[in-house]
Amino acid sequence: MTGAIELNGLTKSFGEVLAVDDVRAVALPGQVTALLGPNGAGKTTALRMLLGLVAPDSGVATFGGKRYCDLPDPARQVGAVLEASGYHPGRTALDHLRILATASRLAPDACERVLAETGLASDARRRVGGFSLGMRQRLGLASAMLGDPGVLVLDEPTNGLDPPGVRWLRGYVRRLADEGRTVLLSSHALSEVELIADHVLVLAHGRLLRSSSLAALRAEAGVGSMVRTPHQDRLCAALDAADLPYRRTDEGLAVDATPEQVGELAGQHGIVLHGLVGTADLEQAFFRLIQESGPAERPATEEVWS
Amino acid sequence: MKALLQAELLKLRSTRTTAGLLLATLGLVALTVVSDVPKVGAAEGPLSLDDPGLLADVVATCFGVPQVLMVLYGTLAFTQELRYGTITSTYLGEPRRTRVLVAKWLALALVSAVITTATLALSVPFSSALIRSRDGDVTFAGHFWGIVAIGFVVMAAYGVIGVAIGALVRNQVAAVVGVIVWMTAIEFTVIPSFPDVGRWMPLGATSSLFQIGPSLGLDGNLLSVPVAGLVLLAYTAAAVVLALHITPKRDVL
Repeated sequence: MTGAIELNGLTKSFGEVLAVDDVRAVALPGQVTALLGPNGAGKTTALRMLLGLVAPDSGVATFGGKRYCDLPDPARQVGAVLEASGYHPGRTALDHLRILATASRLAPDACERVLAETGLASDARRRVGGFSLGMRQRLGLASAMLGDPGVLVLDEPTNGLDPPGVRWLRGYVRRLADEGRTVLLSSHALSEVELIADHVLVLAHGRLLRSSSLAALRAEAGVGSMVRTPHQDRLCAALDAADLPYRRTDEGLAVDATPEQVGELAGQHGIVLHGLVGTADLEQAFFRLIQESGPAERPATEEVWS
Repeated sequence: MKALLQAELLKLRSTRTTAGLLLATLGLVALTVVSDVPKVGAAEGPLSLDDPGLLADVVATCFGVPQVLMVLYGTLAFTQELRYGTITSTYLGEPRRTRVLVAKWLALALVSAVITTATLALSVPFSSALIRSRDGDVTFAGHFWGIVAIGFVVMAAYGVIGVAIGALVRNQVAAVVGVIVWMTAIEFTVIPSFPDVGRWMPLGATSSLFQIGPSLGLDGNLLSVPVAGLVLLAYTAAAVVLALHITPKRDVL
């Protein structure tokens, strides 16, 4: 296994545009680390610097302490999917994989193995030009897995996937991380990765705003409850008395308290509830984080490396 | 390097471009023979039917179009990777970009040998038959074998130059249009109009290598074969050095 991915002070400008600004982060083996940020946040540039495709102005990115260009047999150590359009449309899926396997001196049967793993075995001899975007994403993953690498780097892997495809991808990526591999994936939507990511790196305006576990981010976002009751006025009075903030919505009362707190309070006052669910608006917290990031704000070192 | 070369050859084999190029080459070579041989012996023509170097000259002329196609093929070998984004996976498999370039040059050199062989396999018997049908002289003299050898060298050089152009220009449309305009318009205009300058241009030097100046308006202005060889080598080397210098530094976005 190649081990952890480390981004150490990566900085890159294109002309006067500062695309990535002193990004420091780490992705650990056995975890899915999500690089989150809106379009133009610098995610793709950061990943391309990591993979040696873009030269950083300063800083270094390593896999287990080695830069990508210094890795012996890189395809056996790092698999990457950077774009769904990285295929010649006139080439068959099998030929595409054969080319990569040949260049990296991989076993010829690796192509059949990854095609089977990604559900493309029956389409192996079809030209990629006729593939759907979802099939191309699968082929991208197949390409990345050719060398059975210990590290996976995926740029917006859910782009263009239909819901079953997203579900398949989640399961596939989760399984790879559970096998002990390091998985770093980028996304512009927290909702797409919150079901599989263990750790999140929030990037905006080229700067790393937060590096924390998903659980920590969820706790920070605050856990609330949505309550439905035929005795709304009585519950509101009880909430006022308990000093628990709430607001009335079409779905019911949105309370800034855990379902346990709300349930116990309702029980104490003998209030019948028809529905009580917990909510954690991570997406909103994510956007708030991005919007609040002023140009002068810099992430604290201990926060970044936590 | 062997693995990279095999991968590059597989890239060339796995699309229809190579087959299309080969068919286009054969078609245009046949057209060249059909249009050139009947002109032999004409009062104002540079060749005569009893010239022992006639077959060699006709075969040399047949390399005109394949040269252009070879540059285009080399250019496409690189720009298609950029156009379709496969350059990313190529560089991920081999991060040392100079090795990728060298593999592409070797692959194009090998393909040029195939295309040159095909060009000769069609042009020699076809030209011989047409010349004989006009009671002309068909001689496989020393000059003829020299033309064959030069054909292999020139085609390989143009393939290498094409790859370098693709690596340097990167935009496929600009690269292809630029090559076509340069080789079919600019050189064909400059060489007959300003032969003292034109003979130093790539096509001028190639014509000097083949010693087929008259058909290009270079009669009496040809470079000697060794000098022409050095000029073509210099163009090839310049393209190679530039590509090796610039390609590793460029960001792949």
